[in-house]
Amino acid sequence: MGNVLLDFSNVVKRYGDTPVVDRISFTVAPGEFFTLLGPSGCGKTTTLRLLAGLETPDAGEITLQGRCLAAPDRGILVPIDKRNMGMVFQSYAIWPHLTVFENVAFPLRVRGEPRAAIKKRVQEALEIVGLGHLGQRGSTELSGGQQQRVALARAIVYTPALLLLDEPLSNLDVKLREQMRAELQALHKRLNLAVVYVTHDQAEALALSDRIAVVNQGRLEQVGTPAEVYERPHTRFVGDFLGRTVIVKGTMRKDAGQTWVDVQGAGRIAVRADGAFIDGAEVRILSRPEDVTLLPMGELGQNQVTATVEHVAYMGDHLEYTVMVAGRILILPASKRNPHPIGADVRLAFDPARVTALLQ
Amino acid sequence: MSAMTVPAVPNIWLKLRGFRGAELLVLLFFAVVMALPILFMLVGSFNTAAPGETPVYGLENWTRAFSDPQTLSALWMSFLFSVVRLIPSLTLSVIVAWLIARTDMPGGHTVEFLCWFAFFVPDFPLTLAWILLLDPHFGFLNSVAGYLPFVTGPLFNPYSFWGIVWVHLGTGGIWLNVMLLTPVFRRLGATLEEAARVSGANTLTTLWRITFPVLSPMILAIAVLSFIKGLESFNTELLLGLPARIYVYGTRIYDYLRQEPPAYGEATALGSVFLLVLFVLAFFYRRYLQGKKKFTVVTGQGYSTLRVKLGKWRYVAIGGFILWFTVMMVLPLIFLVIGSFMRRYGFFNLSSPFTLAHWQNLLGDPLFIGSLKNSLIIASTTAILGVLLYSVVGYLLASRRLAAPAVLEFFCWLPWVIPGILMSLGLLWIFLATPLRGILYGTVWGIALALTIHDSPVSTQAFKSSFLQLGPDLEEAARVSGASWRYTYLRILLPLVAPVAVTVAMLNFGSALTSISTPVLLYSAESRPLSILLLEYSFTGEIERAAALGLLITAIICVMMLVGRRFGLRMTNPQRQEVKPGVGQPA
Repeated sequence: MGNVLLDFSNVVKRYGDTPVVDRISFTVAPGEFFTLLGPSGCGKTTTLRLLAGLETPDAGEITLQGRCLAAPDRGILVPIDKRNMGMVFQSYAIWPHLTVFENVAFPLRVRGEPRAAIKKRVQEALEIVGLGHLGQRGSTELSGGQQQRVALARAIVYTPALLLLDEPLSNLDVKLREQMRAELQALHKRLNLAVVYVTHDQAEALALSDRIAVVNQGRLEQVGTPAEVYERPHTRFVGDFLGRTVIVKGTMRKDAGQTWVDVQGAGRIAVRADGAFIDGAEVRILSRPEDVTLLPMGELGQNQVTATVEHVAYMGDHLEYTVMVAGRILILPASKRNPHPIGADVRLAFDPARVTALLQ
Repeated sequence: MSAMTVPAVPNIWLKLRGFRGAELLVLLFFAVVMALPILFMLVGSFNTAAPGETPVYGLENWTRAFSDPQTLSALWMSFLFSVVRLIPSLTLSVIVAWLIARTDMPGGHTVEFLCWFAFFVPDFPLTLAWILLLDPHFGFLNSVAGYLPFVTGPLFNPYSFWGIVWVHLGTGGIWLNVMLLTPVFRRLGATLEEAARVSGANTLTTLWRITFPVLSPMILAIAVLSFIKGLESFNTELLLGLPARIYVYGTRIYDYLRQEPPAYGEATALGSVFLLVLFVLAFFYRRYLQGKKKFTVVTGQGYSTLRVKLGKWRYVAIGGFILWFTVMMVLPLIFLVIGSFMRRYGFFNLSSPFTLAHWQNLLGDPLFIGSLKNSLIIASTTAILGVLLYSVVGYLLASRRLAAPAVLEFFCWLPWVIPGILMSLGLLWIFLATPLRGILYGTVWGIALALTIHDSPVSTQAFKSSFLQLGPDLEEAARVSGASWRYTYLRILLPLVAPVAVTVAMLNFGSALTSISTPVLLYSAESRPLSILLLEYSFTGEIERAAALGLLITAIICVMMLVGRRFGLRMTNPQRQEVKPGVGQPA
């Protein structure tokens, strides 16, 4: 089956004239935890629903395990119930008229499994999610966390080709969410199932995923490992969406095989840049606050720029500096040791491995 | 891998087989049974020949109908009745709803239940009971009043304009208004009133300046609803209006068709005019509602309501309600019982005034046995057909995937505007002028079909809102789990809407049992239902036997509704349904 389990290729979905999924392409490898991350209304849930067959694509192809699920150009559309997917809905969609056991048994009953096998596998699935003792409980008597586990057990009970999770943690309170996140991770390791996970929570995405696809306004902005998308965002949007950013403006310089950015007289920062950047281009440099070190004034070293402290806020475990660099305000956390007074000149040391240059 | 062998289905065919196909079928059905009768009626109004004969077209019907001053007066009377009735009925129901929902009146839940109960008491037996109470010759209250000084001759006369208005203060509509308004008052966010109180307004000012204005769009909407419903009113006007020669348009149509030979032409001309009026009204009503959408969502958070403390007035309030309920509901029902057991009603000073003879006559009457059988067949068919048809329609409407949802909605609302007697008139043309004559004309199936159509608005709405409330997730989860649509429908959707299905079936069964205006044009000697038998007893002066039959019908309905209530038959308060699918849903 090669290294591609799912091939989601150039898929388009329009509501009226507005494309909500605009030529999105990605692949998922067997056993991979793949996350679609983006703000609400960006098309990530629609993408998941297209995978499940709950929406019909207007163009593109979806192939799972070498079998074409949807290809409107060729008139192919495999019905929802023939796709062999497991899905956990945001609302969990636990059927209120069925017991916990019957909820989980449903996919097996549909598949006409023998009675004894159903009993065994439902029990197994319930054990996996830690609800082994609740089988006969009515499903409306469950807490949110328990409902979530039932939904998960129902999705994995028949070993689906792909497990689809639609913001499964968003309805849980913070503490439970962290616990379920850890459990989800353990479960994924144990079952070795390929997972497509939809979320708007970047912390969840970073912690759980093998790879993340950042979606914005129906388009894929970037696909990569959590470290790649976090540390080297390709676009301003990806940078902002995944966490706090430090941005300085400057001019791209290329000379003798070296590339750096001149930060308007404040210093220079070495960057990796491809041919899209020409010498003299106006650019922004994007980095993460924790990757920028605040140093007392001294001689400017490599990848350092000068700045002035405008304000200091006491945050308890650290200090937060508001500094001015070449006419731009930046907010940086720093240790409480060796504090810099307001008005002092300081140096900002960038980590060249963790900066990205973006064209303005 | 076995899943690989599943054939891929072409997109277009799947669409046609799924939603598009179902939508097309439903639309086609509605077009045939709803749009076509109306079209037939409009065309038929220009046809001067009797239905089934070679048509001759001309304006004769219209000129004849409108040169008859009684036609215009019937239209005018319909409006007059509806308007005059509206004022006390709306005032009373607003007050009672407010008392139930927003005050500390004792026994609020009981009052709510009594209103619910009263709604189901059929109006024809009630009207009969008022005849027993108010008839100039044998009415009990007139006899009692006769003993008062200065009273010569009968004090009350039910066969009059005000008699009809009076009887309507106790029949279905007013109780329905209470049931519709109570949740509206209940849902009003308490914070709006609390803010007014904190701003320094007292209870009365708050009520007058905040509560009523905020709710005015809803109240007005219900007012228009009951006005249009009032125009359709038929039974009371038939029983009380005919002896006094007071005609509303419905009884006028009935009268035209009772003539020998039946004046189909005039009846259809009158029906067509009325239809136009109703359409104009309904059009503005819907437009008004759409314009007011932002106003109607005054549903605040939760149900935490600030209840108005009435102090000693709470006893006045509950006392007033008890008085009203006793006079309008308990008293008539008691006299219905008494009437059915009296040898000759009104003659209390006979040596043995009470007898079981009327009941024995009734139960032994072969007409009764036949009618009972007919009624049961008609009502069961209506109930089953309604559930099957409108659950699908409601599902389609809730799915939001239709090509023409507005058209389907329009069809479903059509019978809401079209009174039963007009619908039957239209259907009569279809039944007579098509090959369906054999199966549908004068048979129980024709009546059941007409009644099913008449049930469409409420049934569709009930299913639609219940499917909407379920949301798409429960269904989609089953589909993703590998269940076919049919399996999903049977195992997931149907069990979840079962309480609604039972409710709809009960309501339709009940209305089929009591409806007079719908079957009155469609029945024959072989398919006569109980309600028509009741009508015939009343007209032939067998008032005691009519009382017994009316009581029997009332009893059947009440028992059914009480049983149905156990299944979550609540009509207006879906929040209190047995199944709560919302538990797992996002806040």
